[in-house]
Amino acid sequence: MNTNQDAQELAKQELTARLSLIETMIAEGRQTTESWGWTFVLWGVAYYVAIAWSTWGHSNFAWPVTMIGTSILTAVVATRMSSKHPETTMGRAIGAIWMAIGAALFIFCLSASIAGRIDLQTFIAAVGAMLGAANAASSIILKWGAQFMCALVWWVAAAISCFASASQSSIVFLAAIFLCQIVFGGYMMLSEARERKSQEEKSGAAHA
Amino acid sequence: MIHGKLRLALLSLLSTVEEAEFTWLRAKTNSTDGNLGAQLLKLEEAGYVEVEKKFVLRKPQTLYRMTQSGRQALTEYVQALKQLLGAAING
Repeated sequence: MNTNQDAQELAKQELTARLSLIETMIAEGRQTTESWGWTFVLWGVAYYVAIAWSTWGHSNFAWPVTMIGTSILTAVVATRMSSKHPETTMGRAIGAIWMAIGAALFIFCLSASIAGRIDLQTFIAAVGAMLGAANAASSIILKWGAQFMCALVWWVAAAISCFASASQSSIVFLAAIFLCQIVFGGYMMLSEARERKSQEEKSGAAHA
Repeated sequence: MIHGKLRLALLSLLSTVEEAEFTWLRAKTNSTDGNLGAQLLKLEEAGYVEVEKKFVLRKPQTLYRMTQSGRQALTEYVQALKQLLGAAING
């Protein structure tokens, strides 16, 4: 009788261990350690470079050249980094949003800069609205309040530049870049570093 | 087929991602290259995973993704486990 009970208990433990293994592996797979904070900082710096170049260099090619250069740099670094991580459905959804908005921004900035027919306020309003849309969509997928705040900042900047003077719009744009690209990107990088550290500590317990 | 610990771990991991590289699977399961390769081959032969080999920045990359029948097998396995556990608890 006892032998039968022991065998049942062992079988139950074995089945529970299998179920636990499945749960652990699913949780491991869903953990994302991808790093994207650096792209926000990089693009923030790129916007500042493009603004400085177009303002003091008086060049129509400041925006297109900076955007193309930064796009190439982002693509090369991201390809190197993403080869270490698997693609998740969520990752592909967020990537799709940023690629679509990035392409829209590129076409708009290139055309607007070369044509030279759009005033600064309209330019800032359009760029701000697009960046706000990308941040909002991404924040809704990630359920991330901090990123939604960035979306609001971009939309407020876009709205203000519709009514403000060129110099006021420029100040608002520079402030939005600082908050939503440099500060938010830095915060993201810190969060990602913390996440990686905690996963490295936990990985010692991983088994199969 | 999927009752083996490593094969079960691999299918569980692959169920959460679109596709995964060999090195990522090795890191997540703490397994050796030889054992991992052998178990992935068994899963591939059973039609539970698909393999794609390509070059990224001139480096070879082996990607694995779960097939529809692999997903179905895992779902059925989990259901069977739950039923057995329920029977064990009730018994």
